[in-house]
Amino acid sequence: MSTKEPTEADILRPINTLTKKYFILYGAAALGLVAFLIAWAYQLQQGLIVTGLGDWGSGGGSTWGLYIGAFIWWVGVAHGGIILSAAVRLLGMDRYMPIARLAEMTTIGGLSAAGFYILVHMGRPDRMVTSVIGHYHITVNNSPLVWDVTVITAYFVLSATYLGLTLRYDISRLRDDLPDMFEPVYKIMTIGYSEKEDQVIDRMVWWLAAAVIIMAPLLLHGGVIPWLFALLPAMPAWSGGIQGPMFLSIALMSAISGVMIISYAFRRAYDWDHIITDDIFRGLLLWLGFFTLLFLWFQLQANINGVFLGPTNSAVAAEAKMAHPLYQLAMGMAFLTLVYIFLQAIRPSLFSKKRALVASVAILSATLTEKILFVVEGFLHPTFDIYANTPGTYFPSAIEWLSLVGTAGLVALLFLNLSKLVPVVELHAIEHMRGDHGHSDDATEQEVEA
Amino acid sequence: MSTDDESFHPLGEEWEDELESMLDDTEYDSELGMKMAQDAMRVTEGELSEAEFHDRYHEEVMEEFGEDERPTKEAYEAAQEEAKGTAASMLEKFDGDGEETRRETMKKMGVGAAAVGMGAFGTAADGPEQSLAAEKGPRQETTEESDTQWGMTIDLDRCDGCLSCMTACSQENDLDQGVNWMYVMAWEDENHSGASDGGNTDTNSQFNRLSDYNMLVRPCQHCTDAPCEKVCPTTARHTRDKDGLVLTDYDVCIGCRYCQVACPYGVNYFQWDDPDVAYEDIDGLEDPEDPDEITHAEYEHGERWVDSRAPRGVMSKCTMCPSMQDGKQGEENVGTTACETACPPDAIQFGNVKDEASDPSQHREYPTKSRAVIDINANVPSPDVVDSNVSDGDSLEAAIEAIDSTEDADLDETTVAVAKAIEIQSRDTETDPGDEENNSILEQQQTVLEFVTALEEYVDLESESARETLDLDQVDDIGNAAQIRLEQYAGDPSSFQLLEDIGTNPNVTYLGTQPGPEAHQVEGPTKYEDVDLLDKRQEYLDKETVGHVDGVSL
Ligand code: SF4
Ligand code: SF4
Repeated sequence: MSTKEPTEADILRPINTLTKKYFILYGAAALGLVAFLIAWAYQLQQGLIVTGLGDWGSGGGSTWGLYIGAFIWWVGVAHGGIILSAAVRLLGMDRYMPIARLAEMTTIGGLSAAGFYILVHMGRPDRMVTSVIGHYHITVNNSPLVWDVTVITAYFVLSATYLGLTLRYDISRLRDDLPDMFEPVYKIMTIGYSEKEDQVIDRMVWWLAAAVIIMAPLLLHGGVIPWLFALLPAMPAWSGGIQGPMFLSIALMSAISGVMIISYAFRRAYDWDHIITDDIFRGLLLWLGFFTLLFLWFQLQANINGVFLGPTNSAVAAEAKMAHPLYQLAMGMAFLTLVYIFLQAIRPSLFSKKRALVASVAILSATLTEKILFVVEGFLHPTFDIYANTPGTYFPSAIEWLSLVGTAGLVALLFLNLSKLVPVVELHAIEHMRGDHGHSDDATEQEVEA
Repeated sequence: MSTDDESFHPLGEEWEDELESMLDDTEYDSELGMKMAQDAMRVTEGELSEAEFHDRYHEEVMEEFGEDERPTKEAYEAAQEEAKGTAASMLEKFDGDGEETRRETMKKMGVGAAAVGMGAFGTAADGPEQSLAAEKGPRQETTEESDTQWGMTIDLDRCDGCLSCMTACSQENDLDQGVNWMYVMAWEDENHSGASDGGNTDTNSQFNRLSDYNMLVRPCQHCTDAPCEKVCPTTARHTRDKDGLVLTDYDVCIGCRYCQVACPYGVNYFQWDDPDVAYEDIDGLEDPEDPDEITHAEYEHGERWVDSRAPRGVMSKCTMCPSMQDGKQGEENVGTTACETACPPDAIQFGNVKDEASDPSQHREYPTKSRAVIDINANVPSPDVVDSNVSDGDSLEAAIEAIDSTEDADLDETTVAVAKAIEIQSRDTETDPGDEENNSILEQQQTVLEFVTALEEYVDLESESARETLDLDQVDDIGNAAQIRLEQYAGDPSSFQLLEDIGTNPNVTYLGTQPGPEAHQVEGPTKYEDVDLLDKRQEYLDKETVGHVDGVSL
């Protein structure tokens, strides 16, 4: 492995270089986003009829589809990201420190994409402010959708604070090497900074991390988000207490995969072999395996519960879900990834970063597929399953597919922009790697899982 | 607001007056209540500690409320909550009791708690009205619970699947193709085969089901505990306090479609594109400037637009015709709906389900008798006809013969027997239709009763021979005999509500055969296309889907 010492220059490299590849990537991401913005404008002009959605029931359609599926998927990526970063800080998992900030930025990106999806999904997005805020004091008592929006906003604020606080330390120290162009931004970000605050900030960040971890099961992906579905009595494909753990496991799988892909890209682009080490990828892969195992276990629970002598409505829903080829494909991908992770853990020579990348992409596709299917399945097999036109039909329209490209572009742009503005690897991390060498670099090759 | 008057409460004097008069309504000492309220406010302002508050009033409260310690405790807890500024949890206290009105809850909690409870809303800075509105939440009554709840009883055995109600609804409300607020379907399950398997065997009465199919007529159920309303993030989906209709405010809805997701019955239809009927062409929009003329569009007390087809991007569903219920379409239409009026066999009975005399209540409580009334009332001769054709001493047979042979009337023994049985069965029940609009079953029953009274001037219908002729002699007890006779004639349908175990408390009750959990829709007696209706809306929606590929589905 690398023997290079990580330096400040290393983490400043993305800020102080401009390559052709960067422009190409930037252009591609912008193109994706703009293409979707145009498609969205068309949707606003024509109405939601341009989507593949419809009315469940006598109409034979699906009320929600890809938009909501992708929405909860992005929220999952975001929530997983912040949990990951909080775990690094709280549990002293020092070896992952170099990717903690990437995880936080993933959270910001994921939440932005999710927020965007809320708007895209609405019939009258122009009324969001007046109708939702105006009645907030009433609806917050009942509506899981309002809880969702509340929690997502709260976590956006929390994550941004968290990121902002830790950035102060870096910026004030690296200021001389940062481009003058953004001086006003740095000024604002480090307003009132003095070295005395470091300790206070450390504690604050620790408490924020603690709050994230403690509230994760209840308020994040283990609670409020699945409640959007699980609390409704008449859609057996959604109901059940298992949805909380299931959503949480999916969130963590998606986030770990996402962070792995992003880390891979940065490492490649800026020669960070000695910062985002192989060791980090191996560790992340093992965690990914662990959560995939949990996820498959929860799926099994949910299915067996419906299929084996379940009440008619849940049996129908569970059977239909299991018989769906896309569901089988998604589960197959998750399972194969799990097998690979298991094998490479036994025989380290099977590990390669490319394979880790493939595993990440497989998991992200599997979770996205699962999310979209999950949303649609609810409408296909309701308790009141009498209509001839139910199960109806739904296939996402070109505009809906394009939204995936658009939001991916949005998140990519966020990273591309942020990487020119602030260090995406914490100064703390490289200080730590230099000062406490033995701990992070020569750590055992494998991490024993719980 | 309260800045320059003497009141202790941030909402000012007006508010206190209302509070005082409310306290006057309770059976407790209102002076004590006001004093407690005052001090409760001081607690929230930090001038008085909770413990002091508790001590100060403990004795007096014990005196006032007797042994029961609960009121003081609750008042104390309420004050504590208030001190934390958690208005939301205060609200829950009132919301949580479900059935009870706020006023009742307050009585129960005692004056102190009441005062504190009201005080909680003082934190809202937008004046008494808004605060009240804020506090009452989407489902709560402002004062007494309304004694009107519109609803339906639908006799599925009478439904012949003609789809008249569906067409009437879609005309009345200018609905798009495939937006079937009212939906009628035929169904089968393993216990109830339909017409395709050679007729039904469920009914062993003379009552002929109007079709061989098992029918289901599905409007919005206007649930008392409507999940669609609970989940709405905007309060666009709301229940009207005054009459329990569940409606959508087309000006507030953001089109998130969560209501459609949460409704277990699948009755919602989203407006995916611009509606076929332009706003200016909405029926009943005779003079948009004159609030009395606005029946369909821009409507509820002239403020909320809840009637007729939805504009693009918002949710719609069966409304049960609020403009009719509010008298905007003439007094004669209050208590009716477009579908009820259109139904040829009178299968749909709409009205105030809380009123014992209403059609849906009558039909639900006395299904056999009501069916018989609906069935025969048009055939019974008027008292005049009886008077001019029957004379004293005529035998029953002779009387029937005499009436039947006239131009003006047909009469047979069955009609007389059923009419008499109705009269016997209605002896202990409500017979006065009252002044409520359109209590048609009781009005029709009056016709039947008048005929029986007229006939009995001349003929003793309870003599042994008459009972034999009328088949009212199966058992000695004449009440039981009448019931048996009516069941013979009209059957004894069971009643049910859809998905009763889900807790929605629907306000539509059905008579007839309940579809089992595996029931599925089959083709009915009338095809949707034949009456210009579109069944599968998705076919229409798919045409506009960008990049739609036929036959591909998740
Ligand atoms: S049937 Fe009940 S839940 Fe469904 S829309 Fe009507 S009131 Fe709401
Ligand atoms: S679609 Fe409209 S009425 Fe339905 S839940 Fe959303 S905002 Fe409320």
